[in-house]
Amino acid sequence: MTYLARRLGLFGVTLLLITLVTFLITNVLPGDVATMILGTRSNPETLAGLREKLGLNQPLIVQYGHWIGHALSGDLGVSLVFRTPIAVLLGQKIAASAMLVVMSLVMALLFAVPLGVWGAVHRDRWQDSVGSSIALAGISLPDFFWGIVLILFVARGLGWLPASGYASPLDSPRLALSYAALPSVTLALSLMAHLTRMTRSAMLEVLGQDFIRVCRAKGLAEGTVILRHALRNAISPVLTVAGLQLGYLFGSIIVVESLFNFTGMGWLTYQALLNRDMPLVQASVLVIAALVMLTNLAIDVVYTLLDPRVRLT
Amino acid sequence: MRRRDFLHTSGLVMSGLAFGGLPGPAAAAATPGRGGTLIWGHSETTQNLDIHQTGTASTLRLLQNVHDTIVTVDRSFKVLPNVAESFDSSPDLLTYTFHLRPGVTFHTGAPVTSADVVYSFERVRDPRTGAVNFDVFREVASIEAPDAMTVIVRMKQPFAPFLARLAELGAGAVLPKDSGDVQGKMPVGCGPFKFVSREFGNKVELTAFDAYWQGRPYLDGVLSHEVTEETVRLTGLQTGQFHLINDIPMDRVAKVKQDPKLQVLSWFPLNWDFLNFNHDRKPFDDPRVRQALDMMVDKEALMQGALWGQGVVTGSPSFPTSASFDPAIKPRAQDFTAAAALLREAGFAPGQLQFTFKVTTNYPYHVQAAQIMQAWFEQGGVKATTQQLTWADWLSQCWVHRDFEVTMMNFFTLWEADFLYYTLWNSTGAFNYRNIRDSAIDDMTGKARRSADPAERAAIYKQVQQRIQDQTHDVILWFRNGSVGAQQNVGGLDRLVHPNGSNLMFRNVWLKA
Repeated sequence: MTYLARRLGLFGVTLLLITLVTFLITNVLPGDVATMILGTRSNPETLAGLREKLGLNQPLIVQYGHWIGHALSGDLGVSLVFRTPIAVLLGQKIAASAMLVVMSLVMALLFAVPLGVWGAVHRDRWQDSVGSSIALAGISLPDFFWGIVLILFVARGLGWLPASGYASPLDSPRLALSYAALPSVTLALSLMAHLTRMTRSAMLEVLGQDFIRVCRAKGLAEGTVILRHALRNAISPVLTVAGLQLGYLFGSIIVVESLFNFTGMGWLTYQALLNRDMPLVQASVLVIAALVMLTNLAIDVVYTLLDPRVRLT
Repeated sequence: MRRRDFLHTSGLVMSGLAFGGLPGPAAAAATPGRGGTLIWGHSETTQNLDIHQTGTASTLRLLQNVHDTIVTVDRSFKVLPNVAESFDSSPDLLTYTFHLRPGVTFHTGAPVTSADVVYSFERVRDPRTGAVNFDVFREVASIEAPDAMTVIVRMKQPFAPFLARLAELGAGAVLPKDSGDVQGKMPVGCGPFKFVSREFGNKVELTAFDAYWQGRPYLDGVLSHEVTEETVRLTGLQTGQFHLINDIPMDRVAKVKQDPKLQVLSWFPLNWDFLNFNHDRKPFDDPRVRQALDMMVDKEALMQGALWGQGVVTGSPSFPTSASFDPAIKPRAQDFTAAAALLREAGFAPGQLQFTFKVTTNYPYHVQAAQIMQAWFEQGGVKATTQQLTWADWLSQCWVHRDFEVTMMNFFTLWEADFLYYTLWNSTGAFNYRNIRDSAIDDMTGKARRSADPAERAAIYKQVQQRIQDQTHDVILWFRNGSVGAQQNVGGLDRLVHPNGSNLMFRNVWLKA
């Protein structure tokens, strides 16, 4: 319990620091939200009027204090550009991003585990090289590269899937899937690469152990040995890594969602940044950071349940 | 019979005559049907929905259907009654009286009264509202409501464009009293459609307003899907996901026109573009340098290259159907010899003049245009470096801080001549980000806004354009076409586009059964 309390306390401090850094960095960017709202219809008078109304002419520390005061009391405020309560905006977007993240996680596991097992079973032969090369390519190149490749070949070239957009599964499950397909594959690629390598090394470790030799000695079919005995023992660290990577996925969505115009949390954060919409930037970064930290904590806790040897102190 | 139905019946008679009374597909297309929800693939994301605060064309395009203005204009920009059933101005242009139309109601069910109009006007006038049309009310001394159906506006000094500017949504929309705080997320007005909901960045839902004073729209509703990627939008139209899309990719218009399943409406202009010089930066204070650069640009070739021919080259930025449009002002022809001579005169040998050309990626065709021009400048012995800026950076650097040498921009719907010439070219104009200071233009634009004679005003604005051309204060490039693609079952497309060339009026559109 003391461990949990300490972790949660650290959470608070970390989140506070994140909001402060975000606030400072965003304020260094040229332009402000009043310029963005009025666009090419602004003049010095209306700009000054709007800045006063939005409180942008106050010292930075006062602006930050004002924001953090409200945020601590649970009021995330109103988006300056969209004039909509931020809680409502986030509510609309979190589900979309969650769908994307879960889809990519499932996809990554579905491909990574068989590929890793295949590589481990055929260790140092061509099958292993194929698996390793795929994994290496996935790790070495950033998300947006694969995103652009997919847009160019699958969407533009073959015309199989839309290159950008979003539809709610409640309106049309088929459309929703077609829009989510390419961004989730993009997100899944680097995750899959990590998981393939993880599965392969965990499998190799397990396959070298005595109980596997016993299994083979008592005449079990090779498939049963690999899938029933070896994989079951190897899968737990793989799942742990998958969980840890969930946090990483929530970070990646800013780039990937913007690339595909998939209007979830990441897209919203990017729009807020482009518009210099400070309260919205702060709130989205806060939510993403909290999600990353919470998944990490959850993984630590779950790990103790899975493996009694691990204790949190 | 309601007025609107009568108009359509008479319209039908006319089309019947035109086609010799023969029934045919054209006549069938002209029969308005009722019902159905039109699914619109919209090119941009709507932002702040507060009609007073929003300056983006995308949001105005949508809100055109939710709000109605006190007066309106026809295609020749004549000011017409609207929510005000009649209006008059005193000969000295110091007093305007509006008589409100009885029976106009808001979406809330409340009748439109003078108190609502006073509230709406005062809200635009208040600098703290951050209203984009703040300047319309700059010369207003007082706004009064002597009775429930009359509004009197008194001016400090004459401001001739006042009435015409009230036809703009951002200035003349009538909002319910004290609704300002909710307008940003839940716009409410007295227009043909009620705002239902918005899922931010994805879709907006509008539903027909039964009690609309010009009669309920044909459609039951409009569902707008915001699809910013142009090829995805077009695919959505081709696969039947959308009834209608705006902004067909410029390089695809010709091809879509050949598709028998679809109809294309192209119109001109959607907006106009110009090349800008910062007059506070040397050597762009020298008209010879500006003219030399002008002479290196082949406007027709540039329009073909950057717009795929979806535009018309012009020397006059006035709205083409307005009185101040002057077709006699021709763009300068490309002439490298003359340009070199001018540059030499200004003290620049070939290779000596260098500058940075800032363009915003918000308008991809600006980037293409800049790259084409850069090659011509190179050919003319001038080294231009193109710098691409995000919209936020462009606004901050070029518009607000005026930190640029050469740039380019476009404007939508500055169709009122005073709004166009005073704000952009008067030395005190709100949009004079190029630091142009020309006393001749100052005198002319100042005089025009005090004149009550439309013919005199048009003549003055033609002189202003000539002066802009002679001095090469900016280089006017082209009017860009607008386009809408629709399924064959969408009727009334010819009356979809607002006279301002940008807004869409869905109350004129219907879906065939």
